[in-house]
Formats: sequence, structure tokens, C-alpha cells
Amino acid sequence: MNVAVCVKHAIDEGELRADPSGRPQLQGAQAKMSTFDRNAVEEALRVRESKGGTVTVLSLGSPDWKKSLKEALAMGCDRAIALSSPSDLDALATSYYLSRALQQKGPFDLVLLSEGASDTYSGLVGPMIAGWMDAPFIGYARKVQVEGSSVGAEVSLDDKTERVDAALPCVVSVVSEINSPRYPTLLQIMQASKKPMEELSVDSLRDDRAPQVTLKVLDVAAQSVNRKKVIYEGPPEESARKLFDALRKEGVI
Amino acid sequence: MTDVLTFSDSPQLAGELTSAAASIAAGAGGTVLSVELDNVREGVPRGPVLLLKSANPITGDDLRIASAVSEASKRMSSPIILIGSTKLGRMVAGRLAVAGRMCALADVRDLKLDSGMLTGVRDVYAGKFNAKVGSPLPCVALVPQGAYPSPGGSAATVEELVVPAVSSGVRRVQTKPSQTSALDLRSAKVIVAAGRGFKTKEDLALVEKLARALGGAMGASRPLSSDLGWLGEEYHIGLTGVYVRPNLYLAIGISGQLQHVAGIKDSKVIAAINKDRQAPIFQVADYGVVGDLYQVVPALLKILGAG
Repeated sequence: MNVAVCVKHAIDEGELRADPSGRPQLQGAQAKMSTFDRNAVEEALRVRESKGGTVTVLSLGSPDWKKSLKEALAMGCDRAIALSSPSDLDALATSYYLSRALQQKGPFDLVLLSEGASDTYSGLVGPMIAGWMDAPFIGYARKVQVEGSSVGAEVSLDDKTERVDAALPCVVSVVSEINSPRYPTLLQIMQASKKPMEELSVDSLRDDRAPQVTLKVLDVAAQSVNRKKVIYEGPPEESARKLFDALRKEGVI
Repeated sequence: MTDVLTFSDSPQLAGELTSAAASIAAGAGGTVLSVELDNVREGVPRGPVLLLKSANPITGDDLRIASAVSEASKRMSSPIILIGSTKLGRMVAGRLAVAGRMCALADVRDLKLDSGMLTGVRDVYAGKFNAKVGSPLPCVALVPQGAYPSPGGSAATVEELVVPAVSSGVRRVQTKPSQTSALDLRSAKVIVAAGRGFKTKEDLALVEKLARALGGAMGASRPLSSDLGWLGEEYHIGLTGVYVRPNLYLAIGISGQLQHVAGIKDSKVIAAINKDRQAPIFQVADYGVVGDLYQVVPALLKILGAG
């Protein structure tokens, strides 16, 4: 089993602040492996532990993105591929270059990723990679089981759950409920720097299908929170009564 | 002339998409076509319908849906495809974007056609910021539920189109409808949601009771449906769960992590009960009760005559 897992080095949305004009302060903002990607890495490692083989982690450049790759290596991945891009890419281009790297550095039986990145949560890169690779896509898996040359999964959609299976190679996105990601030990963190990390420029991966980057980000501004913030403290019965009266007055109950 | 094609597996969203599409097409002299698959869902489509049929059923499979919609957009030469932002919708939009080598805009509202570019506004960084994004045409855009009004009326005309059969790579062994559909939670007027402040699974009966007394639905923050496993994922409200916009969102024993707040910030009124005065939920609430939920909730039930 050769498993690939794709991760994103994303701005830590919890730490991100707005500047006086309301724009996000991206300069010097903290970044980390996108929250849910650690579940994808964990699942890749579990597949390897039960089926043998290797786990390769890939990430497509943003400043300092090798930190996330190193973290994945410390968690237990065998090798890393760092794709560097001279400019910002959109989901279509990102998925294209990841699929090219997967094809060039593979073959991989299983490609895992999370349901969406914590900064944008679009959930598009997974099905797009499957699209470029002409592979089946299983989205939102909360249980994954590799059996011979196929993969079975339990998925939860908006109004139903499904048991599905597909032939390998297959692209699977996992939800964060699927597992609890392991924390690397200090020794593993130190050893991670000895594991192979290959850097590839997206320019070297381009073929005649390469898409243009057409998504334009025109403006980013802080959302305003306009809440009344009325607080009731005191005896529970009194507070409950005040809350009830307030909600009545609002006409919402 | 800019024609718009719409599709959603969610009946509610399918209606709202026609409003979204009409707002774009109106200014550009274009037409709107709602795509239905296999058969026209009862009472769902508003206005002209394009019914796609194939040798195999199309419904439920991302690849088949994407191939069918892609084929339809080619035949109709529609440069804009709007897809409802459900989980299946995201998969379909991703496939469509690759098939048509076009940009995909995710979770956009306030859609506008501006000098040949489709623009919209979306949440980024767990809803802390808004991003205005744009794409040249053709493009595909995911539209979240609740961003546009649901129009009245019914299917005006139905045009049928047979599309080539595509074999799906994914076999569906078993399909089970969720107990509480995320789609129901999305349209609930009152939601009472439980968080880590509850000590046992059995105590959630309090929330259920309160939700019933208020004529609302029950929801939960992520720990209850993942780490603790007390409730199914369909109850999970937040960034990776359901986005809701009820008239009243009552958060009980929920601290108010950014990822949870992302899913509730469009609620009309937010109220919270939490024993920790410093809990971040109070920063985004209209009304907050600082107190022990095991005392405040029974008191509320008593006032409501359900105690």
C-alpha cells in the first residue's frame, strides 16, 4: 500500500487579527497545519500500520509550509514532497499540481486529505484531484477500511449516511471525527529532520492541461459582531425569568 | 445574454438557487434553468426546469451528477453554474470545475455580474473575515443555504435532456437517512444546542425537553458528536458541521470556540447559558445567563410550564 496524504499549511484563524482598517494582518501571522489535516495524516498512518507500505505527505507552498510537512514526518510519514509555487494558486490550480505530483511521484493506491482547510473550508481540492486523476472520490469518510484492491468507507452527508466502496486508486476525504491524531514524541520530532523531503517547483509539473489561475480575491475585511451582550448574573430562577422575558420581547419564542 | 444553470440535492437550496440565479440573470438579460435529475421533485423547482435523464439513475453520485450538469451546460451554453453548498454539492462543484477548466467560487453570497466577472462574498478564517472574490466566466459557484429567499411558485416548464450514461467509480452498499437531517436543522426557527457543560449523555434530556417546549430543534457543539459520541454528526453545528440561522439560538454549556461560532453567527438572536463568565460565547451573544445550567434550564422549563 502506497498512501499519499495532502496537507495545507494554513493561517491560524484563531490567532489572526485585523489591522486598524479591518484587513487581516497576514504579515507575520501564525500558521500551522490546517486543523483537520492532522486527522488525514493519522488515518494514512493507520492504513500503513494495518496494511504495510509507505506514507508520503505532500503540501503546496505557502511561506514556511515545510513546517507542516516536518510535523507530518514527525507523526510518522515516511517522506515528504514540498511543492513550491512562485505565486498564489486557487483550488483548481492547487489540485492540478498536486495531482501531477501524485502521478509523477507515485503510483499511489490511496490519496487521503481532510474534508476542508480550516482557513477557507471550501472542500474542493479533494474532488478536484479525483477529477484530474480520473479516479473515484469518496467524500466525508468517518471510517476507512482497505480490503485487497478496494477501499470501503462510511460517509456522512447532509441528510444521510452511506456505506460505500471503490476500487483503488481512490481519493478519500476524511472528517475530523474519524480519529484522534497522535502527538509526535520529542525523539520523533528530532528524527523527522533526517527523513527525505523533496522540493519540486510547480513549473516542472506543468503539462498542456495546466489551468490558469483565475480566482481573484478582491477584498478581505473583518466581519462585525453586533450583539447586545446583555448578561444576567444572580439566582438561577431570576436569571431564567429575565432571559425568558427578553426572548419574549424579541419575539423569538 | 448570460444564462444560469442551477442544481442542488437539497430541495430547500434548489429553490433558493433560483432566486440567486434570477438576481444575476435579470441584469444581464439571461435565463435561469433549474436542473432536476431523473425526475422532477415535487414542489421543489421554481420556474423553468431542465430535467436530465440517463440510462442509469444520476441522483446521489458526484461523478454522474457532474457529468450530467457539465453536458447540460455545454448544450445550453450557460456560462454560470450555481450549485447548492451541501457536502455532495461541494464534490459536484469540484468535478465540474475540472471538467470545464473553470474557476470554482465556494460559499458565495451577494452574487453580482460585474464587467464579465461573477463576484460574491464569502466567510474566511472561520467567519472572522469576509472575502470578496471573483471569477471570469465560465465558472461554477457554491451558494450556501439561507443566502437567498425561497421563491414561491412551482415548475413552470419542463424541458428534458438525455445525457450519456457514466459509470460511477463508487458503489453504494447501503444508504441510511439521518435521524435528524442537517437540512432540517438549517431551517429550524429555534435551536437549543448543548455543549461540553453537560456531565452525562442522559442529561441531554434537559435540552431535548427545552427544545420541545420552545417548538425548536436540538443541536450540539462538536465535542458531543465527535470526542464524546453522545449524538450523531447530524447534530453538529459549526464550521465542519451545519451552518444554521434560526430566530433564536440558545447555547447551553457551550464555550463558544471560533469554529462553533462560525456556524451560528447569522442567527437573529443568540442566547447563552454558561457558568464561566469568561466563556467566549458571551462575546457573541445578545443575552447571556451566567449560572449552572443544571439550575437555570429547569427554572426555564418551569416558566414554560414544562418543568
